[in-house]
Parts: sequence; structure tokens; C-alpha cells
Amino acid sequence: MYKDMINPKGDPCCVLRVLDGAIIPFDPANTDYQAYLKWLEEGNQPLPAEEA
Amino acid sequence: MSVTINGTNGLTFNDASTQNTAATGFGFKNRIINGAMVIDQRNAGAAVTINSTANTYVVDRWNGVGQASDGVFTLQQSSTAPAGFTKSLLATVTTADSSIGATQYYLIRQIIEGYNVADLGFGAAGASTFTLSFWVRSSVTGTFGGAATDNSALYCYPFSYTISAANTWEQKSITITGPTSGSTFDKTNGGGLNLYFSLGMGSTYLGTAGAWASATYFSATGSTNLISTLNATFYITGVQLEKGSTATSFDYRPYGTELMLCQRYYQKIGLVDFASVGTGFGISTTQAFFYVKYATTMRASPTSSFNSMWLINQTNNYAITSAGTSYLSADSAMLRLNVASGTSAGGPCHLAPNTTAGFIDFSAEL
Repeated sequence: MYKDMINPKGDPCCVLRVLDGAIIPFDPANTDYQAYLKWLEEGNQPLPAEEA
Repeated sequence: MSVTINGTNGLTFNDASTQNTAATGFGFKNRIINGAMVIDQRNAGAAVTINSTANTYVVDRWNGVGQASDGVFTLQQSSTAPAGFTKSLLATVTTADSSIGATQYYLIRQIIEGYNVADLGFGAAGASTFTLSFWVRSSVTGTFGGAATDNSALYCYPFSYTISAANTWEQKSITITGPTSGSTFDKTNGGGLNLYFSLGMGSTYLGTAGAWASATYFSATGSTNLISTLNATFYITGVQLEKGSTATSFDYRPYGTELMLCQRYYQKIGLVDFASVGTGFGISTTQAFFYVKYATTMRASPTSSFNSMWLINQTNNYAITSAGTSYLSADSAMLRLNVASGTSAGGPCHLAPNTTAGFIDFSAEL
């Protein structure tokens, strides 16, 4: 499970991996972000965004 | 000084040392990082159980891959090593799998970043031949296997090698023709070449040794399955992958250099009580931003996590409870971290371990 995080402009900027509390940036080269995108493709939805 | 040049023996220097093959380049000769297994930021020598299909990193840059509910092995840094080395990577079978399913696999792997092999021209005509060499020791003898593959493991070169004597260090070398096909040999910050050592392999992923194939192969047909023997051990170190058709002496690099090479993919900062890893400012009674500069530029913007850290300000120390919206580049991070109470808007503060097990880490592994 993941939780979206947004910046003060209201734009998504990272996700929180709920399992271990890790912060994952939106970088296509980050393998954890790649895993998050795959998780979304499987039809999953992250928890509502937390405002900055 | 006398130096002799002989068509058979090569160069012989006056101290009797010889060079009997062509030099294959200087500076980053070995494209494997941490081939001598000396850097272990994550686990400091502790054993790690490999019981899932996820990449589990053990010593830096090396990961283990296994199965979720079948054979199990551990990986850990070991001080058992051949002459000239101080460390190795040890695999120990803790739950045997004597009937490996067709699509099951047990592996040790390193993914080489594209930038570090781009000059070898993989995936196109003229790709360079390269040579893999390593020291290995196992309680099980026989023909073992592994593979070099592109990043998607769709174009693969299975290889085999023989361990002749039990519990004895042996050095192996395998020369591999450059792959002239294969579409996912990345040349930038993605996976440039994957290197696998098999501890057990299902039939689906076994291919003929000694040739590139457009198929997913992680080992060679007929190879021994270490995972089938309970308590079997397998040590490996001195892993080198170099351009050319000859295995040359291991490319020893300064410890600090090797550590910095590893830190491009993973950094663990802290582990000293109260030693600040970053400074920041409060933005409310329960939140603060901290600036952390990495030891070196990372491969990509990293994932960050923490353990046993606290916020230190002018009044007291407060345990970090969770992370909030944070900003991570490949060079530095601005982390918003939460405490139960104790900070204040605008108040300066430090981020520091609250035990010797406290750390913040950044991972940009492949």
C-alpha cells in the first residue's frame, strides 16, 4: 500500500510506502517508483494524498 | 634493470614478475563494484534470509533472489577468503529444495549500470568480448552455472564452471563474446548488464552454455543445484568483469573509492549516537524539514527510510515518528519528518541517531 504526497503547489511529488514508511520520489529511474507504477497498473489505488 | 621480452612468456621484469598478456586498460578495469565483497553498509556482516522473489541486497551491489515458500538460503559477508582477499559472500542453504519447479530460481546477482559498460557496445555489431573471473569455494562439487543477460533478461548468455574439490578455493574465468543483439543493454543509468550466479534453477531458465540466446536463461543446462543440499555452503569473491579475452589480476581499488562507488546506489548515514546527519527547522509543533547532503551523487533520486532517529533542538530530543512530503534529488534531500511534539515553527534543529542503530538511508539500486 502507498500513500500519495503532494507539494505546497498541490502537485504529487512522492509516495509513502506504508509497509516501511519509506519515501519514494517520482523518478522514472528509481526502481521503487517503477514498482509503484506497476502496482497502479494492476488496478490498485494509493491512500489519499497528504498535503505538504 | 633488465627486462626481457619473449614471444612465449611475454615480459619478464628484473624482479622476476611477468606480464604474459596484453594490458587491458587502466582505471576502472573491473566493471563489477564491490567484487571483493568488502563493503556491507546494510548488514555489517549479519546474515540475510533470502526467501522471496524480490531483490534482497546483502553486501553492497549484490542481491539475492529466491522463492517465497520453498527453498531458503542466507547470504552474508564472510571473512573466509582466498589469499589476497579478506572477505567473501557466503550462501548457506537453510531449507533445501530438492525438486525445483520449472520456473523457480535461486540466484546471486549484480546489475552493472549502463554508464559503466557503455564503452563495450553491447547490443550492436562490434560489441566487445569480455571476461568474467572470480574465486569460488563450495561444500558441493560439480558443474555450476550462471548467466550474463541484458536488463530485461530476454537476451542471455548461460555459462558453466566446475568446482572440483569441496571446501577449497578455486579461481574461475569465463570469456564471453560481446552480445551483438538484445535491446535492453542500457548505456546510461539503467541496467547495462546483469550478472547471475545460480544456486538452483528450474528447467525453464536453463540454456546451452557458451552462446547468446534470445530467451530468458539464468544458468546452464546440467548445472548443479546447491539449494538441493541442506546446509550446503557457497563462497564467492574476487569477482571481476573486464574488457578483453583474458582474465587479469584483480583490480584492487582503495577502500574509500570502493565505498564511494557503492554509495552511488546506497548510502546509510548515522549509526553514531547524537552525530547529526542534517540540519533543519521546525514548521509546526510536530513537523520539521531537514536538509541532508549525500556523500556522493546517486544513480537516481533515491528512496529514503529511517530507523531510530530523533530531532534535536534547543530544548530536548524528540523521536522521529514518520516521514511526510519530502523532496529528493540525486544529490540531496529535503525531508519533512514528524515528531509527536516538541518542535516549533522556525525553530532550528538537527536530525541525529538516537541509538547506535539509528540511521537514515538512501537507495537508488538497480
